[in-house]
Amino acid sequence: MAQSLDDIVSLDPAEGFELSSLQAFTALYQRLVQPNRDRPEQLDPHLAARWTAGPRTLTFELLENARFSSGNDIRPEDVIYSLSRAVKLNRAPSFILNQLGWTAANIDTLLVKLDAHRVMIHWTAELGTAVVLNILTSPVASIIDERVVTAHGEGSDAGNGWLKSHSAGSGPFKIRRYIPREALILDANPSSPAGAPRLSTLILKNVPDAGTRRLLVEVGDADMARDLGPDQIAALSASPSVKVLEFPSATIHYLLFNTANPDNPALANPALWEAARWLIDYRGIADQLLRGQFVIHQAFLGQGFPGALDDTPYHLDVARARQILARAGLAGVHIRLSVFNQPPYGDIAQSLQATFAQAGISVDILPSEASEIYSQVRARAEEAVWLYWVPDYFDAHSTAGAFAFNPEDGTKTLAWRAGWQIPALSALTRAAALEPDPEVRKIKYRQIQAEVQKSSPYVIALQARSAVVVRSAVNGYLQGVDADMAYYDRVTN
Amino acid sequence: MLLATLAALALVTFTLSSLSPIDPALQLVGDHASAGTYVQARHELGLDAPWGLRLGRYLAAAAHGDLGVSRSTGRPVREDLERVFPATVELATLALIVGGVCGVGLALLSVRHPHGLIDGVARLISLAGNSIPVFWLGLIALFVFYARLHWIGGTGRFSDAFEYTVDMRSGFVLLDAARATVPGALTDAAAHLVMPVMILASYALGNVTRLTRAALMGEAGKEYVMLARAKGAGPTRVLLRHMVPNVRGFVLTVLALTYANLLEGAVLIETVFARPGIGRYLTTALFGADMPAILGATLLIGACFVLINGLTDLAVRLADPRLA
Repeated sequence: MAQSLDDIVSLDPAEGFELSSLQAFTALYQRLVQPNRDRPEQLDPHLAARWTAGPRTLTFELLENARFSSGNDIRPEDVIYSLSRAVKLNRAPSFILNQLGWTAANIDTLLVKLDAHRVMIHWTAELGTAVVLNILTSPVASIIDERVVTAHGEGSDAGNGWLKSHSAGSGPFKIRRYIPREALILDANPSSPAGAPRLSTLILKNVPDAGTRRLLVEVGDADMARDLGPDQIAALSASPSVKVLEFPSATIHYLLFNTANPDNPALANPALWEAARWLIDYRGIADQLLRGQFVIHQAFLGQGFPGALDDTPYHLDVARARQILARAGLAGVHIRLSVFNQPPYGDIAQSLQATFAQAGISVDILPSEASEIYSQVRARAEEAVWLYWVPDYFDAHSTAGAFAFNPEDGTKTLAWRAGWQIPALSALTRAAALEPDPEVRKIKYRQIQAEVQKSSPYVIALQARSAVVVRSAVNGYLQGVDADMAYYDRVTN
Repeated sequence: MLLATLAALALVTFTLSSLSPIDPALQLVGDHASAGTYVQARHELGLDAPWGLRLGRYLAAAAHGDLGVSRSTGRPVREDLERVFPATVELATLALIVGGVCGVGLALLSVRHPHGLIDGVARLISLAGNSIPVFWLGLIALFVFYARLHWIGGTGRFSDAFEYTVDMRSGFVLLDAARATVPGALTDAAAHLVMPVMILASYALGNVTRLTRAALMGEAGKEYVMLARAKGAGPTRVLLRHMVPNVRGFVLTVLALTYANLLEGAVLIETVFARPGIGRYLTTALFGADMPAILGATLLIGACFVLINGLTDLAVRLADPRLA
């Protein structure tokens, strides 16, 4: 596989939170439960053979005779160690487990070994069993081999230094060698409880330039290539020696107005939000400007997520936007728009600048480095910003809890960052997270999305698609909607 | 001199990085991380300490050879540099040899036959070498010679069959391939190295040809050249015995500066050909706000500049008795 590996910070599942690391974790580790690869709404038992739910508890019975790639058997102690280690290390993805109310101070009392095959977990947060199970499907909840990891620990690092470049899991592959920014070489783990993979070796090779990746797969020196540009995919799509596989991605792109910015009161005016919905050239951006990389999507749950709202009621209509602004008495509006200083954000910002100008809204584009923009947004210092959202785990609450939840307990969600006061909608979001009936949950999330779509300081516009180009002899590769859902184990060549 | 330059370089780089709006902690933990994780990351990165204390700690550790741990590779920066730097030195040195020899030769031919066909070709080559972006040239070369004609190896240092079997002990791919017991490894390494070297050499060739030609043309009208011609010396003898000795110090300086630029500027070739190297290491570190890696790579490149300048001064004094 030719791809960029420059983003990898760590291959420790308690620390790695980059796209390439997350995709590798699915090959290297298993969790107690994981979404079914063909029907992700359905949870499959993986290291847990079965589970039973109680009041804010789940009891997992572990799969019998399951072993790590080291040959060690998988015990309740490994489950407890993996989850508590991720919380105590407190690295980038730990906030996902923190949502359960787990902290370094209380985690040891919330994970209990019942016997040689059963482990019980408790949580203190107000969440329903369905959300908790889905949280446990995230890569940070991967089960690692306690005995191997502790043997490689140095000082108090809990084996973090070693696990950055080695693996200690039970997934279909194990790391043979990791050369940072050059290659990640995986060997098959034939004894994996997930089943032996079809390939004996999988080499993920760092090829930073997309044009070079295209040549490699075209010539046949790479069997697969990802992250190619629209021009490269167009050039390859006519070739009989390769196939272009397209997968929807859960990544959502949207415009956010910071209503808490005191310097620009127009940002808090719902008429501006409504006008903005009619001032984006959705079709032009998706079909021409960024051909093939996005589809129009106007709700916060991407297509493929349970409960996603697929309605796209908005299109570019400058006359209607002008009417809305005139009715609200909004004239001479000036907005400073922050965008990431890399493709394709500059193109999107220029499109917005042009269409907003047609309705008399002047937009100053402020391109900045990503962390600078995130700092501004966290401090509520920006005016408007074009952002993208990637769900942290495969559950609607991961996204709804950000866009439509602004509790008064000081939790700084995305809604807080937008300065959007929504007590009623927050209550509905909380109720949806507690709802035990999956169909009722979907209805509630559609209701929340419809409300956000109609009246919120976000203008949700696009959903990303990702393409993987494979040689025609390569079969069996599958990629799901969430970032970690890259399945290599059934690939044949 | 070396120590003072490196200390100044560290001070400037450290100060500029502190003034940068990029937040390394946020870069590391991401936008979704909790406030607690963010605060812990700032503490672990030492960002909660005063600027002076951080600088002092860094300089003290660097003085003992400890350049810190890269945040993006998770390994000591020193180990990273030991892995990537030889690759760039190998690439740049071979490119300088090819570009330098061809560039000086072309300049001599050009001056020997001024305003003729050869001179026109030399000027065209030097213009092309200086103006065609190397990343574009690299992609075109890959497309033509690798994808279409199959004359050269593709990207990386080896084909996959050798890539992870040859022990890269020294980091110099030709040396390690020659030492390896794997049959065919050296040929494969050379097939992968030839095109990056040629393209980087085209940049060196353009630079060296243009400046050497200009220096020699500047000598052509001087009195000592007229005197030599009046005494009956032929054009080739005048060029090689009289003009060249007068510009060799200048040519050495041009070669040295070109070499320093190649060491630092091979990043685009390293990216297009997916080869490890210090240019790509530094660029990736810059995008990731990986301060230990940025500082370590900057200090190494700075040390190379100082070393190359020092050696050039010495070579120029040896080459030109007037400066001795």
